[in-house]
Amino acid sequence: MLDFFTIFSKGGLVLWCFQGVRGPAATAPVNALIRSVLLQERGGNNSFTHEALTLKYKLDNQFELVFVVGFQKILTLTYVDKLIDDVHKEFRDKYRNEFQQKGALGLLNGTFDFKDDFMRLLRDAEESSKVRAPTVMKTFEQSLKSQKTVKCMIETRGEKPKEKVKNKKNKGSKKDGTEAVAAPSKASAGDKQLSAAGDKEELTKDEILQKNREEFFRRHMKAGEKSRSPKPDAQKEKGKKPRVWDLGNSNAKVLDYSNSATNGSAEACPVEEFDPDMALGDKNREPGRLYDLEYESDDEAEEEKVVQNPSKPSVKKGGLGGMFGMLKGLVGSKSLTREDMDPVLEKMKDHLIAKNVAAEIAVQLCESVAKKLEGKVMGTFTTVTSTVKQALQEALVQILQPQRRVDVLRDVMDAQRHRRPYVVTFCGVNGVGKSTNLAKISFWLIENGFSVLIAACDTFRAGAVEQLRTHTRRLNALHPPESHGGRTMVQLYEKGYGKDAAGIAMEAISYGRHGTGAGGCPGAAPSFTLPPVLPARNQGFDVVLVDTAGRMQDNAPLMTALAKLIAVNAPDLVLFVGEALVGNEAVDQLVKFNKALADHSMAQTPRLIDGIVLTKFDTIDDKVGAAISMTYITSKPIVFVGTGQTYCDLRSLNAKAVVAALMKA
Amino acid sequence: SMAGGLEPHLEALRRELHGPAVLSVLVALIAVAVTFLIWRFVQGRRSSRKAVLLLGLCDAGKTLLFARLLSGRYRDTQTSITDSSALYRVSQDKSTTVTLIDLPGHESLRLQFLERFKAAARAMVFVVDSVAFQREVKDVAELLFQVLVDSTVLRNAPALLIACNKQDVTMAKSAKLIQQQLEKELNTLRVTRSAAPTSLDGSATGGPAQLGKKGKDFDFSQLPMKVEFVECSARGSKGEEGEADLEALQKWLMKVA
Repeated sequence: MLDFFTIFSKGGLVLWCFQGVRGPAATAPVNALIRSVLLQERGGNNSFTHEALTLKYKLDNQFELVFVVGFQKILTLTYVDKLIDDVHKEFRDKYRNEFQQKGALGLLNGTFDFKDDFMRLLRDAEESSKVRAPTVMKTFEQSLKSQKTVKCMIETRGEKPKEKVKNKKNKGSKKDGTEAVAAPSKASAGDKQLSAAGDKEELTKDEILQKNREEFFRRHMKAGEKSRSPKPDAQKEKGKKPRVWDLGNSNAKVLDYSNSATNGSAEACPVEEFDPDMALGDKNREPGRLYDLEYESDDEAEEEKVVQNPSKPSVKKGGLGGMFGMLKGLVGSKSLTREDMDPVLEKMKDHLIAKNVAAEIAVQLCESVAKKLEGKVMGTFTTVTSTVKQALQEALVQILQPQRRVDVLRDVMDAQRHRRPYVVTFCGVNGVGKSTNLAKISFWLIENGFSVLIAACDTFRAGAVEQLRTHTRRLNALHPPESHGGRTMVQLYEKGYGKDAAGIAMEAISYGRHGTGAGGCPGAAPSFTLPPVLPARNQGFDVVLVDTAGRMQDNAPLMTALAKLIAVNAPDLVLFVGEALVGNEAVDQLVKFNKALADHSMAQTPRLIDGIVLTKFDTIDDKVGAAISMTYITSKPIVFVGTGQTYCDLRSLNAKAVVAALMKA
Repeated sequence: SMAGGLEPHLEALRRELHGPAVLSVLVALIAVAVTFLIWRFVQGRRSSRKAVLLLGLCDAGKTLLFARLLSGRYRDTQTSITDSSALYRVSQDKSTTVTLIDLPGHESLRLQFLERFKAAARAMVFVVDSVAFQREVKDVAELLFQVLVDSTVLRNAPALLIACNKQDVTMAKSAKLIQQQLEKELNTLRVTRSAAPTSLDGSATGGPAQLGKKGKDFDFSQLPMKVEFVECSARGSKGEEGEADLEALQKWLMKVA
C-alpha cells in the first residue's frame, strides 16, 4: 500500500529506505517536501501533497531525524500516523548508540538494518486498521424477529404467552405514567393500545375494565373542572373595571420621596467626615500641573516574571518531580515538551501580532517552531524562553532570505545582451505607491546608465498619465541627454485614457525594442539584418516599466484584465507593490492576486508574482510585520523598499535588521 | 581619643590576618584564579581555526562528498536542513585531524550557517555542480561573491578550493572553463552589487570591501587567499559500488591541515 518510507538525518544522509511495490524514486518528492514545508516554516500541518502522492512526516528533534512516508493520494490509509509513531520509537531505541555519538560519524559508519522490524510494524498496523472495520448490517436471519414463531405474532385477547409477562410488567409501569397524556382519545385508546402493542403485549379483560373505569372517572373530573373554569372568566367579563396600579394613580406629589426640607438648604445634609489628604492624594504635587504617564522602563524583568509565574504553580504541584525537572533543566538534559513551550509561544504569537504580522501567519509560524523544537534537548543554563526566541528568530530570518537571486541590474544586462528590453510590471491595490516607486526605480536605473521607457497603462485614474509625464520631465531635467552621450534616458509611452491596458503595454514593449529615441546598447552592432523599414541602428530602450491601475483584489473583471495583460505580454519581472501599513489584508491581497494570475493564464506554468516592493516603510517605526506576512504567503523576495517620496528613497531589504526590529520588545 | 578607639580594632585585624582561616581563603582564591587561566588557555587552543567548510549550491554534492571522505562508502542523500560535522583524519600515517563541516546549500539556510561557522574556518571547499554549471552560473557566482566579500573571510583569508564535482558525467565542464566563466561573472557582479540600493540600516549590500583590484578585470589571483581549482567526482566513475574520484581533493586537504 505504501509507496515508500524513508528515514534520514537532518544533515541529509539517508539512513534507511523502503521502496514499495511500484514506488518511483523517493528523492524527488521528499526534496519537494523539505523545500516547501520544512524550509518555509509551514510545518504546522504534518501532511503534504506532491503530484500523485501524499507525504506524511514526523520530526525527531532530539536526534535530528526525519521520518517520511509516501502513499497514493487517492488512498486513505488510517494506520499511517500510528505506523510513523511506532517506527519512530522503535528505530530510535534500536540505534540509540549510533545517535548519541558525537558528530556524524555514528550515522556514517552505522548500518541500519531495519527491514524486518519495519515489515513487522507494518503488518501490525495494517491488521489493527482492519479490526476496526465498519460494522456490517445484520441479515434477517441474525435478527431477533426471525426467531419468533408466527403463532406468537397473532393477536388474541385473553391469552397470556409466557414470555410476554416480563415485557408486560415493564410496559405496564410505563403505561401508567403516560395515561394522563392519553386521556382525551379514550374511545379508541383501548383499540390503539392493543394495535400498538401488537405482538408485544396483551392486557387481560379485567385489567382493561379497570383501566377504562379509571379513565372514565378521571375524565369526569377533568370535565367538571373544565366546565367550572369558564365561569370565573364570565364573571370577570361582566364588570370591566379599570386596573389600578399601585402608584399609577397618584400624582407627582405622592411619588416625590425627597425630603422637602433638604433641597436647597445647606444645613440639612449630614456633615460627612472629609479628609482632604485622602481626596487629594499626593501632597507634593504642584497645584495646576498635569503630570505625564509613568511606565516601567524595565521590560525584561516583567517578561521573566510573567513567564516564571505559570511555571511556578507547576513546580508546586510536581513537588519532588518538579524540583528534579528544574535541576535537570539547569544541568542541561531536559527535553522540551509542548506544555513547556505553550505559554512562551502564546506570548510570542501575541508579540508578533502586535508588530503587525497577519494573525493566521503568526499562528502558523508558532506551530511550525513548536514542531521543530518538540523533544529537543536544551543546552546548559538555557531557559525555555531563550530557546524558543532563538528558534523563532532563525525561522524569521529564514523566511526573509530570498529563494532566488535578487539582482535586477544583472538581469537587465543579460536582456541587453540579447537585444531586447527588460520588462517590469507593477501591480497592486489602490493607493499603495506604484507610480511613485516606479519613478524612484527609473531614477536608480538611469543612475546606472540604462535607458528607461515608462508605459502608462493606467488608463482609468484621472491624472495618472499627467503624473508620469511630470516624473519623466523631472528625471530628464536631473539627467539631461547631454550628460549621457546625447540620448534621452527616460521617455513616456502613453495613449491617453480609456483604452485597453494590455494593448498599450504590447505597443510600448515593441516600441521599446525598435523605437526611435534613446540609443539602446552602446557600441553593439546588430548581428542580424533588420528589415529596411526600421532604422539601421538599434535604438531600443534597455528597460520598460509598465504602470497599471490600482485595483481591489475582489474586483473580478479588473483582476481578469490584469491577468490578461501579464499573460499576453510576458514581462520579465512582475512586481507586487504593497504598503507596509497593511495588516491582515496583505494575506488576502496576495492570495487573490496570485490566484487571478494563475487562473487566467493559458501556459503550463503560469506567471505569478515574482517579487514584492514594500512601500511607505518610513511610516512604521518597528511594526515591520507586513514584510513577514508578504514573504511568507508568496515565498518571493522583497526586491525594493520605499522609504519616502523623493527619488533617493529606495532601499533594499536587510533581513537581519528587520528581524531585530520585530523581536525587539 | 579617635586613635585610641581605632587601635584595638587594628590589633584585632592584625591578629586575624595571621590566623589560619585567612590563609586557607587566600589559597582557595589562588586555586580559582589558576583554574580560570587554564580554562581560558584551553578554550583559546580549541577555538583556533580547525574547521574545513563544505559550501555550495543545493544539489552540488556536498553531503555525498562529506560521506565519501569520512567513510569511503556511497550513501543516498536528501536536501540538508542542518549542518553535519565530524573529525577527518587527513592521511593514514599522520595524526592531524581537521573538522569537516557540511553546510546546507538551500537559499534560506546557507547564509545563516555560514555566519555561524565562518570564524572557525581554516579552509573552505566550494563545491560546484559541473553539469548544471552553465545554467546556474549566475547563482554560483552570487554565492561565491557573498562569501568572498564577507569581512571575517577577508580578515582570516582561509584557503579556498573550488571543487568541480560530478565529473563522472560526460557533459561536465572542465575546471578551466569554470574558472574563466566565474571570473567573468564576478567581474560583472562587482559593478552591479555595488550599484544596488543601500540597505535599510545604511550598510551597503555589496559589502564595504572591493573585490580584487579596481580598474583591472577580476582574477582569482587578486584575492588575499589562495584559490585553487580541482576536478572531482563524489559518485565515482565506476558507479555506486566503486571508489570516488577524490584524489586531488584529498591531497589539498593534506596540504591545508
